[in-house]
Amino acid sequence: MILVNYVASIILIVLGLYTVCTKKNLIKIVLGLGIIDYGVNMLIVSFGFNEGGTAPIYQMSDLLNGVAPHFFVDPVPQALTLTSIVIGACVDAMALSLVIMIHRKYKSVNADDVRRLRG
Amino acid sequence: MMQHYPVLAVMLLFLAAFLVEIFGSKIAAIRNLITFAASTTALVLIYALIPAVMLRGEIISYWMGNWAPVSGYAIGIGYEIDALSLFFALLVVTTFWLSGIYSFGYMKKDHHLGHYYTLYLMLSGSVLGLVMTGDIFNMFVMVEIMTFASVALTAFRNESEGALEAGFKYLVIGSVGSSFTLAGIALLYGECHTLNMAQLSAILSGGLTKNSMMAMGLIIAGFGVKSYIVPFHTPAADAYAVAPTSVSMIFSGMVNKAGVYGMIRMVYIVFRAMDQSSVQMLLAVFGAVTMFVGVTMALTQHEFKRLLAFHSISQIGYVITAISLGSALGLTGGLFHALNHTLFKGLLFLAAGAVLYATGTTNLDKLGGLSKRMPHTTICFLVGAAAISGLPPFNGFASKWIVYQAVYTNAVESGNFLYVIITVTALIVSVMTLASFVKVTQAVFFGQLREEHKEVKEVPAIMLVPMYIMAALCICGGVFYNVVNTYLLAPASAAALNVTNYIDKMMGEGYADAAGVVNILAKPVEFSFWNPIMWLVLFGVVMAAAVLVIVFGENSRGKVLVPTENADPKYATFFSGEEEMFSQVGGSDLFWGFKKNWQGYYKVMQGLHSGIVTDYTTMTVVATAIIVLCCFVFMR
Repeated sequence: MILVNYVASIILIVLGLYTVCTKKNLIKIVLGLGIIDYGVNMLIVSFGFNEGGTAPIYQMSDLLNGVAPHFFVDPVPQALTLTSIVIGACVDAMALSLVIMIHRKYKSVNADDVRRLRG
Repeated sequence: MMQHYPVLAVMLLFLAAFLVEIFGSKIAAIRNLITFAASTTALVLIYALIPAVMLRGEIISYWMGNWAPVSGYAIGIGYEIDALSLFFALLVVTTFWLSGIYSFGYMKKDHHLGHYYTLYLMLSGSVLGLVMTGDIFNMFVMVEIMTFASVALTAFRNESEGALEAGFKYLVIGSVGSSFTLAGIALLYGECHTLNMAQLSAILSGGLTKNSMMAMGLIIAGFGVKSYIVPFHTPAADAYAVAPTSVSMIFSGMVNKAGVYGMIRMVYIVFRAMDQSSVQMLLAVFGAVTMFVGVTMALTQHEFKRLLAFHSISQIGYVITAISLGSALGLTGGLFHALNHTLFKGLLFLAAGAVLYATGTTNLDKLGGLSKRMPHTTICFLVGAAAISGLPPFNGFASKWIVYQAVYTNAVESGNFLYVIITVTALIVSVMTLASFVKVTQAVFFGQLREEHKEVKEVPAIMLVPMYIMAALCICGGVFYNVVNTYLLAPASAAALNVTNYIDKMMGEGYADAAGVVNILAKPVEFSFWNPIMWLVLFGVVMAAAVLVIVFGENSRGKVLVPTENADPKYATFFSGEEEMFSQVGGSDLFWGFKKNWQGYYKVMQGLHSGIVTDYTTMTVVATAIIVLCCFVFMR
């Protein structure tokens, strides 16, 4: 049932946004960013999914002769998701490295303490 | 041959980024040579496209690996350069070329410069790719590369105050925005099963479904984050202030222009929603709020670069307001202002960087009287300040004039009172911009020279050259506005409205007709415009009058008028109850009365700019929700 995927991905995105908006711990904020990413990735994969579909690996002759089933999973969203996962991993790595350096400098990972630039 | 130029330019910059890291991390000469060669080649390659695209009106399309569309379906990644793309590409290459030259002098004292130039070239390449790609997912990837390179460059001087913090905030808000964009792209793909923008536009021409309206709301919000419209602007103010100045110039010159480009491309070409008054009003209100909040926050700043950052936000408000009108005149004004903003704000940032380089501080309260020590920087800064405040005959006046005219025309035609308010807001914002730059000029360049800056020297020539180039361009843009209009603005704004041509060039002739795409009808541009020569004459007359008064006037000029023998302390100059030692009005003191009168407003604004990252994300999420709701409720 594909509807479950959609509902789950929306729940993940909203959970991530909730985390980013309410949690004061910088590491939790980074985790929230990750959760938003996973939600969006799930959304993309779900768009290309066909239940019971096969992998889209055919020769041209198979398609022309009608040997292959015409029902396969769209490969483009999977490629997009792969790209998006890589980017998401970079976000997390970079954000965490910034948090480490902020902790060294500010001696805190609480968002309320990291506010020297304001006004 | 020509269709290879854009891809070559982008790939060259990315290649050079890695070459710098491999060969140039130790030796400055190799590093600078690779950077300069790559950015100059990219500049030449993009400028070589002007005759074909701008003058002859061609559209250059390029399919990666020659994967052309098969039976009307785009399967490869395509690059498509129409006049709109090329317009922004020209802004991008000019900005990073000048910024690169400036960096050679400005960044000399820093460490790890190999990393700096790697990130700088990746940022340049990604923004250049973003404005030229015809594939929506490729656009997203470029946006992400841009965000990372920007974050890393923001935090580059990580030992300096606030750099890490600004980088982190930028990263959080930026990737929330990117996630919105990606979700919007996913929704579009789910509906249309293609990622090519030309084909998307053809498929969506049958009218937007609820799904694509949601996608549009998310994508507008995503690019709003990248162009830093209020309330997404908070990380921009921090990042511009703490990044190295050459990078601040790149941020305000091309990174937020990339957001503006994305927004124009999406609402005009892909969704073609600009004939709907609800979308127009949504963007117009966001633009007006952006320019007002930006300039009022700038008035209270004590930090030179942070002040410029808020002005940058404010000027983007003008651009967004102008493009929101959906008219050819509005587009012309918006694009012209985007071009001018790149020039004068780049110039101002470079001047701020020169002050930082020479004195080591950008705090307005600790500067003063630098005009005697740094005359070249002062001249360049004055040109930039006059241009941003919209004084004739500089370029800022020309573009602001078209923006006022476009908004007011819309007010008259639609009879909507909102546009009258926006026109008045735009005028008031311009006045406040001038006021704010009076303050900066007074606090930094005029007044008394401070003791500790007695030995300050003018910055090296390699930093002055980009400043003078930009100052010259600022004046030329204002005086020869007709040339700019004919060769750059008119083709670009026509391209944004000519959707059928865009689709046909990419997907094959007749594709747009078959899909039933009709161009948005826009009236031809009518300038009832100003004559810069008249203004120059007026300037000359006023200057001559001033000289006459000075030469033949009474000699009492400059003397104290109060009789000195029975000196009454009530005529002495006081600040905060203390007699002022030297008559320097600090940057923070000049508009204290204004601030006092508006203290209620400023209390709210200071609360919103609290510096806490969760507050900023909450603002981002709420604004996105508002945009998506507006798209859902009011669009037809």
